[in-house]
Amino acid sequence: MDIKSFATLLDPAVLFFFLGIFAASVRSNLEIPAPIAKFLSLYLLMAIGIKGGVALSVSGLHVQMLVGLGIALFMAFFVPLYTFPLLRRKLDGFNAAAIAATYGSVSAVTFIAAGQFLDNHDVEYGGYMAVALVIMEAPAVIMAVALAAMTRASLAKQDAGAAASIGKNSSTFSLRNILHESFTDGAILLLMGSLLIGVIVGKDGYQVMKPFTGDLFKGLLAFFLLEMGILVARRIREMKGVGPFLIAFAFCIPVLNAVIVITLSQLAGLSAGDTLMLAVLAASASYIVVPAVVRVAIPEANPGLYFGMALALTFPFNVVLGIPLYHQLIQLL
Amino acid sequence: MRRLQPKKLLTIITSRAIEKMIIEALRKRGVGGYTVVNASGAGASGIQSGMLDSDSNILIYVILSEARLITLLDDFDDMMNRSYRIKVVVTDISILPRKGAATSKNSVA
Repeated sequence: MDIKSFATLLDPAVLFFFLGIFAASVRSNLEIPAPIAKFLSLYLLMAIGIKGGVALSVSGLHVQMLVGLGIALFMAFFVPLYTFPLLRRKLDGFNAAAIAATYGSVSAVTFIAAGQFLDNHDVEYGGYMAVALVIMEAPAVIMAVALAAMTRASLAKQDAGAAASIGKNSSTFSLRNILHESFTDGAILLLMGSLLIGVIVGKDGYQVMKPFTGDLFKGLLAFFLLEMGILVARRIREMKGVGPFLIAFAFCIPVLNAVIVITLSQLAGLSAGDTLMLAVLAASASYIVVPAVVRVAIPEANPGLYFGMALALTFPFNVVLGIPLYHQLIQLL
Repeated sequence: MRRLQPKKLLTIITSRAIEKMIIEALRKRGVGGYTVVNASGAGASGIQSGMLDSDSNILIYVILSEARLITLLDDFDDMMNRSYRIKVVVTDISILPRKGAATSKNSVA
């Protein structure tokens, strides 16, 4: 194996992530104030949005792009579809649906970390990847809500008294609501808006923004990962009772999803950069948008499980080991 | 001089994700006044660090009459039956009415 891929563990941003984990592990009072953490996450989305938009304005629309987006959309539907029956072996329908939605959807921070990894390796990727990130957000939640509704219906069949609550819960969160929540979520709106602005202003217009969205990017990403490290370490302590099945799920499913995407992308002839970004999107699990939607749409599910697994297990796995591992797999295949 | 008026203070502790739903329930019952405060803490759902939107709690305070409170409690009971994770606390309080005792019968803060 090429040890160079894993040299990213010495990337300052990743080291700050470890520092955050260490700080929380020793119960330090190091803390990033919540409004600053919020600013950092919005800044990162704005920066990758505008960068993607500029890249799109240069490359224009092409067939590879449609193929890449097709693979992204396929995975967004496929992941909840195959993980749900797998999860049902050990969990009730609600928790299975919620976890399936979390893993079918994506993590923007993992995506950003992968972009940074490719920049460090001088590998280019298409600007349309930001579009892939957006379109992968909603389908998994829609499917999970449908699966949860089916679980409610089957429970109601067993217990006639619960019948009244089925209609109420399903009417609380319709397809329209899910799409609205997913696409008007502040982060997604900012990402899409920045992408559009990038397309409009093009390469020349980007020069004005570069000192802010380009030159500062790496430093602010490191600062944000410091905060993520603190969050992850706090959550890890709560994952003790999760059990080996879900822990194995949180580490194995991302790798399996990445392998599926890498195989499909290689067959479709996508570039190494695009393949890695798609693999990381498929391998990542949502811990911001999906948990917020699922809390309302599937209240029966335990947020400690689906949120905790995505944030405390899958996120650090992808950032530290997953990204270089997927990169290696692309080189091998 | 205003007189103290007996009221109920409704305090709801829940996830930020549920906020819209609670506010909508209040609005449907004609309650237009409320205060929302960001909160962090821990409970059955684990740590709510307050650092991510998906990981944040809120406190919603509503001052209202007993009659209106009872209708709202029905709504919250229904939500809890549907497994929504909310804590509802009711406290007896006294307030100095903004417009004087005679006109403040239906006022909420």
